[in-house]
Amino acid sequence: MISYICLAASNSLPVGSWMVQFAGRLHPLFVHFPVSLLFLAGVLKLFEKRIKGAEQIINFLIIIGSGSAIFAAGLGILLAWQDSYSGELLDYHRYSGVLLAVVSAGLVYVTLKKPDATKTKNLLLALASVGTIITGHWGAALTHGDTYLTEVLPWQNDQENSLPAGIAVGNPDEDDDVKLAIQVRTIFAHNCYKCHSETKQKGKLKLDEKEFIFAGGEGGEIIVPGNASESEIYRRITLPVNHKESMPSKGKSLAKPEIEIIKYWINKGAPWPNDMGKRSVFPKAELAPRNPPLPQGTHKNPIDLWVNDYFDKNNIAWKGKVNDRTFLRRTYFDIIGLPPSFEEIKVFERDTNPAKRKKVIDRLLSQNNEYAQHWITFWNDALRNDYTGTGYITKGRFNVNHWLYTSLQENKPYNQFVRELLNPTEESKGFISGIQWRGTVNASQRTEMQAAQNVGQVLLGLNLKCASCHDSFVSDWKLEDAYAFANIFAEESLEIARCEKPTGKYANTSLLWPSLGSIDSTSSKKERLRQLADGLVQPANGRMYRTIVNRIWAQLMGRGIIGTVDEMDNKPWSQDLLDWVAVNFVDNGYDLKKLLFLIMTSDIYQMEGNAYDDPAVVFKESYQFKGMLNRRLTAEQLSDAVSKVIYPVFNKSDYAYDPIVTAGYEPTGQFITRASLVENNAFLTALGRPNREVVTTSRPVESSLLQALEFTNGVKLNNTLEAGAERWKRKYTSSNKLINRTYQEALGRNPTKKEFTVTRKALGDKPTIGQIQDFFWAVIMLPEFQTIY
Amino acid sequence: MEKYWTRRDFLKKNAAAIATMGMAAPLSSLLQSCGGLTSNATADSVILLFMAGGMAHTETFDPKRYTPFTTGMQANTVLSTFKPVPTILDGIQFSEGLEKIGQIMDKGSLIRSYVAADLGHILHTRHQYHWHTCYEPPQSVTVPHIGSWISKELGPLKEVIPSFINIGQRFEVGEGEELKAFHSAGFLGSEHGPFLIPDPTKGLDSVRPPTGMTTKRFESRNQLYEKLIKESEMGEFGSGYQKESLKRSMEQAYRLLNSPEAKAFDISQEPKESYDTYNTGKFGLGCLMAKRLVNEGARFITVTSEYEPFMNWDTHDNGHTRIKEMKERIDAPITQLIKDLEESGKLESTIVIVASEFSRDMLTEGRPDLKVKDQVNVPDIITDMKNYGMHRHFTDGCSMLMFGGGIRAGNVFGKTADERPCKTIENPIKIASIHQTIYHALGIHPETNYEIEKRPFYTTPDGKGIAEQGLLKAQIKSV
Repeated sequence: MISYICLAASNSLPVGSWMVQFAGRLHPLFVHFPVSLLFLAGVLKLFEKRIKGAEQIINFLIIIGSGSAIFAAGLGILLAWQDSYSGELLDYHRYSGVLLAVVSAGLVYVTLKKPDATKTKNLLLALASVGTIITGHWGAALTHGDTYLTEVLPWQNDQENSLPAGIAVGNPDEDDDVKLAIQVRTIFAHNCYKCHSETKQKGKLKLDEKEFIFAGGEGGEIIVPGNASESEIYRRITLPVNHKESMPSKGKSLAKPEIEIIKYWINKGAPWPNDMGKRSVFPKAELAPRNPPLPQGTHKNPIDLWVNDYFDKNNIAWKGKVNDRTFLRRTYFDIIGLPPSFEEIKVFERDTNPAKRKKVIDRLLSQNNEYAQHWITFWNDALRNDYTGTGYITKGRFNVNHWLYTSLQENKPYNQFVRELLNPTEESKGFISGIQWRGTVNASQRTEMQAAQNVGQVLLGLNLKCASCHDSFVSDWKLEDAYAFANIFAEESLEIARCEKPTGKYANTSLLWPSLGSIDSTSSKKERLRQLADGLVQPANGRMYRTIVNRIWAQLMGRGIIGTVDEMDNKPWSQDLLDWVAVNFVDNGYDLKKLLFLIMTSDIYQMEGNAYDDPAVVFKESYQFKGMLNRRLTAEQLSDAVSKVIYPVFNKSDYAYDPIVTAGYEPTGQFITRASLVENNAFLTALGRPNREVVTTSRPVESSLLQALEFTNGVKLNNTLEAGAERWKRKYTSSNKLINRTYQEALGRNPTKKEFTVTRKALGDKPTIGQIQDFFWAVIMLPEFQTIY
Repeated sequence: MEKYWTRRDFLKKNAAAIATMGMAAPLSSLLQSCGGLTSNATADSVILLFMAGGMAHTETFDPKRYTPFTTGMQANTVLSTFKPVPTILDGIQFSEGLEKIGQIMDKGSLIRSYVAADLGHILHTRHQYHWHTCYEPPQSVTVPHIGSWISKELGPLKEVIPSFINIGQRFEVGEGEELKAFHSAGFLGSEHGPFLIPDPTKGLDSVRPPTGMTTKRFESRNQLYEKLIKESEMGEFGSGYQKESLKRSMEQAYRLLNSPEAKAFDISQEPKESYDTYNTGKFGLGCLMAKRLVNEGARFITVTSEYEPFMNWDTHDNGHTRIKEMKERIDAPITQLIKDLEESGKLESTIVIVASEFSRDMLTEGRPDLKVKDQVNVPDIITDMKNYGMHRHFTDGCSMLMFGGGIRAGNVFGKTADERPCKTIENPIKIASIHQTIYHALGIHPETNYEIEKRPFYTTPDGKGIAEQGLLKAQIKSV
């Protein structure tokens, strides 16, 4: 009803008229003083008998007070409508205000016209007095925040100084202040910097440095340490969203927990330690290498000694080793990306040499081309290298195909590999050149910054992406650090842009860690890149080698020793193991194949795979390592397995990079055009091959509808299976043989009796091409086929 | 009430998992939204009709003074090469050839003040990337298409119909890689990527058993698969997550391919009269499919006139002739789509958008006060018909249409100057506001974001852009 009246009123008045707005804003004036007379009238009534002529005074107060209450209610409705207040508080204020006006009207009527109805008058007066308080309270809450009254009550103090929920402060030591201040800084940065920082200073207020925060703006100080309710900043952030003085005035208002944190911080005395920027509250890994002494034990492989040590400490039991077939399948997929043939499995099973597992790993690692054709997928993802993609069309991008293939083929030592990426030849320049689209790009995405970000992420396990726009809120890296690093890749020093706004400032040129050496900013770019390469590849840069061994571990085990392979500051489940493997890698000539050999010959690699239900658990820092996690085949592994088992998915003519012509690859035996060397296409994309516009360091672990549709009716797979069925039908005249051979080649085992019966029933004696094709399909859709377990 | 997450809550709960997110979002199912849904949605589905290649506003929905072709005419005098024609709205004219759409403008909003970004030396696909993702390429992560955002936030409207369907674009064209770059769900995960139907006449192929496979065979294949899965030794290894995920998506695909709703993809089932009305070519038939899909419960559909360098709306020469042809392709089907949706009652809950990455002008490349490198040679004196048309890329005033789903009807928003450079002079509106207006109508919170590599990524950069009240029927309430 009331809102209907408001609506009617608003419809009949010209919206935006300044007079209406002005009148509306008189509301507080008319409220604050005269209405209180009503309350006073009520008080007087209590002492009526002791004061001479009280009746007349009360009547006078009633008339003035009620009149202004009615007037104020009218203006209030105008104010609410013109200044667009809204919300629960307003509703309470509005309804109580209108009610008060009605009661007041009644009171005036009784006072003037029915002087005998004393009881009615007293009742109405009591109502009006109480109503004044209630309405006034809601009004104050509207302008001063809803805890305006209650927050000064002494029994509120406990709560006042208790920690708001969601604030991650532990024991009350001095670090708490730093942590708290950083949380406050984060809130400021994300909500206030737009208008109150280096680049823009509305109201002459800056919130990006301590001295400015406490200096306040043109209206004076904004923080009264120890007293949030007296602090202007707290008043502003708790005002209703549409209030003129509400902050932030643009964009989203602060979330309740954010407001709680600021309140808690101010009440705690607004601590802002001077050395906040220097002291880290973020996890930070050691840069230097560390070679812990091996623990005692009966295991031969040092990795097992470390794992055993970890298992002991965490009460985890070793599981049994997998059988030869499972081991061989796992090993083949991990080194050359293909499943073993049934024949190879049989030969391996029959081999009685106790060292046969080592021998087969060794043999596979010596297949240089097959190794390169599998691992190039991992490196293409990481170096965001592809045969097609954005940027090529305007010559803003270069591939590293040949350099990468031959580097893997010859097993180039990793230090040399990195050196050539950082201080590149024509053939290897693609990684640090980035992708340049035609036109102008954001400062944080210029190619020099892309280089800094990608080198940080891929080679150093470091996230510089935040810091390339503003000082990071999640690490200690500063905008200047990111620019100093990016300057190494630049022809000329880059002007620092903060959140895309040029600052007119320039950073120096330096490595991220001074202990790794310095860069001569006056030297040529070529020379700077050489210094960069020298600085990063030295063994003292333990971080870089931890990063690569962690990545390889993750490829083989389904999860890194540090779960977040791009964030090497996070905690590993075994620091000793990580440190030891990294040092061992350096000591063994930066040899990636030796690293693979070391890990794969361990008992832990050969242990039964672990299933998990919830991938979120796997990536938590609290994760407990129990052995290899089951892994999904990559798009390339799956496609190549189909090629090997059923029928080639791709032909030689599909090569985007042809290793036969350009890298001296001489295929022997069954030839497969590997999916890693063809252009990306709908089939591979659906199976999870990324479009390599940005660095990718892990493939999706989940299936999707789009992928299932590609499996179910995609042309590529359907045609392949159909062609395969034709070929197999010619080759195998009996159903029985065909069923057995399919299971043997696809899954490395014979069908169980039940499987055989089911299939035999579906295929009959003389299966059609269609029936064979559908059987193939059903088998390769099995999780058993699509998983490394 | 909406669920609100703070950065902190979020980081605390998800830091480890989320920090690993690369572009491929291996754990996209774990992403948790900050923002959530609002309760005041006025629409539940969207059809985006994209005029790829740069549709000149002065030749379509914002005609200026008409100068007929004469040999020896001055290039700088030509603003429009078509006559203006009246629309159903008083005082509002369209360019000749768009009479039909002119007659349905009482059902929607005409925007004459869309201002595209300044991205320097023009590349269509960069502007298209920007239009569809709201982010300027390149980005340090793969950012999602607006259809993917909507799919992620709202999910499919009907389970068996993919929530983001893209009709009419082939990728084997020039700039194909650049097109692929934004036809992606990016960090939201491939589940929300576009379901691609490059040719609407072959749409059914995408949702039926492989060519040549009977329904019966399709069913027995699936039965065999289900039996073999039960027997497979993975059962005993119990590969929890991968196995369940694969099984679930395979079942979903099977359901879609077997569902009656899949018939919506079969435009040949449309009555002949209706089919013929829409059939102005691939684009028209795409509109027809969009209508059928929305009626069956699709969430987000985009139909493109198809981008191919120097083709369709990408008029580097013969602009007048080509635009005449383009208008013939769009006038009837767009009109019929609106009418049909209105008739089926779907227009109330479906936003239909007609847009282009930028406009064109005969002289200005880029923006009048920020010109960029010319790509088309325009003679001062025109003697050849092939030079008669808007051949340069213009970003400072573009036309858009929006209908249905809570969009104001019979409404004109914004204005461009009547003289060259015919740029926006009233109510400029940018892509972030357009997106926020769409999200607002769908009830998607303006600050919806995900933490990717420790940074919040919003639907629009930093959550910028405000839903435009001038385009919405309902009063925007603060959220």
